[in-house]
Amino acid sequence: MNAVLRSITDHDAAPLAVHKLTHGYEDGLVLAGIDLTLLQGSVLGLIGRNGAGKSTLIRAMVGLLKPDSGEARLFGEPALKLSDSVKARLAYVPQQPEALAWLTAQQMFDYVGRFYPSWDASFAKTKLREWGILPNKVLGKLSPGERQRVDLIRALASQPSLLILDEPAAALDPVARRDLLREIALRAGEAGTTVLFSTHIVSDLERVASDIAFLHEGKLLQCAVDETKERFARLWLPASMTAAAPSNTLGKTRHADGSLSLVIERRADGSWPEAARLPGARVDALGLEDLFVEIAG
Amino acid sequence: MFAIQPTSAEPIYRQIVEQLRRLIAGGQLVAGELLPSVRDVAGFHAINPMTVSRAYGMAETEGLLERLRGKGMAVAATTRSTATQAQRMALLEPQLQDLARHARELELPGDAVLRRLGRLLEE
Repeated sequence: MNAVLRSITDHDAAPLAVHKLTHGYEDGLVLAGIDLTLLQGSVLGLIGRNGAGKSTLIRAMVGLLKPDSGEARLFGEPALKLSDSVKARLAYVPQQPEALAWLTAQQMFDYVGRFYPSWDASFAKTKLREWGILPNKVLGKLSPGERQRVDLIRALASQPSLLILDEPAAALDPVARRDLLREIALRAGEAGTTVLFSTHIVSDLERVASDIAFLHEGKLLQCAVDETKERFARLWLPASMTAAAPSNTLGKTRHADGSLSLVIERRADGSWPEAARLPGARVDALGLEDLFVEIAG
Repeated sequence: MFAIQPTSAEPIYRQIVEQLRRLIAGGQLVAGELLPSVRDVAGFHAINPMTVSRAYGMAETEGLLERLRGKGMAVAATTRSTATQAQRMALLEPQLQDLARHARELELPGDAVLRRLGRLLEE
């Protein structure tokens, strides 16, 4: 009976759940209580400044790093103690893959392919050609970018349920990058693959991500991409009206002419705050990249 | 068939619905015409298929599109190929407001802007 109950809970478990995760290095706390849940089929773009802790968070999610406190769970299992069956459903691509350097790409695929029940060998072969990798060159002799491309192909060919990519865009030229985004988008939308990827390139995230998570000062702010775009705007107030500016807002900047700009958020009924209707006030659309700069700048 | 700007502050699903409204109101898309599948649109632009589904769903709710069994989405038969002039004018309203704002910011006299616009419309 217990076994049956457990299998039902496991089945319902989110592909990825992070609970109160905390981690620090000698020079301070990098992750200060991170909570995050990814539902099946969602695509989360993780964004943050250099050194914000994106890779640390990702390594803790896949069980390569033991956090100071809190935990990550994958399909209901603790990331630090994953069963083989969950491992086979997970694909993780680090920024700088180093394993199996003495094999060629083709040998590595032949080797790791055996561990994945739904390994797609023809996909791997095609993508190697499309992404300009010589199948018979030893991995250790590839450039870091080529190396990451091989690992991205490995990850995709394993047809994972959960795909976690650390800065995948860095290794790809614009054509291959678009190709990767297409793979991510279609797999999430059609096969229900759950994807998390970190990036610096906000427009990549805007194309495919359903959710965005800003990692800033150890905290994570998770929101849906479309709703976020609709919820925030930039308000410009002329110098004469700045006294009426709302307090506690993001990105408040006073300009040389005395005017003020700030980020405003829609109220529960969908309307903008009162200040948006002051004489001379102007409301401008705010893209995600601008919003990111306002939060992290 | 759609022009997608991922970096725009306007969400992608809204960009698609907005373009459908314009294309149908302007008669470029006629009743019964089949739309590209969700997969084709998503694959072409490398965007999330759920975004495309959401846009098509909204357009269906609005009565712009209808789902044909086994064929996909088509322009709704009830949509007249050309909406009334007032309806088509309403679709232009955001761009007109932007234009008016830019003209005011540049302190341009209204008649000069209208003259130029008149010439552009005659082209």
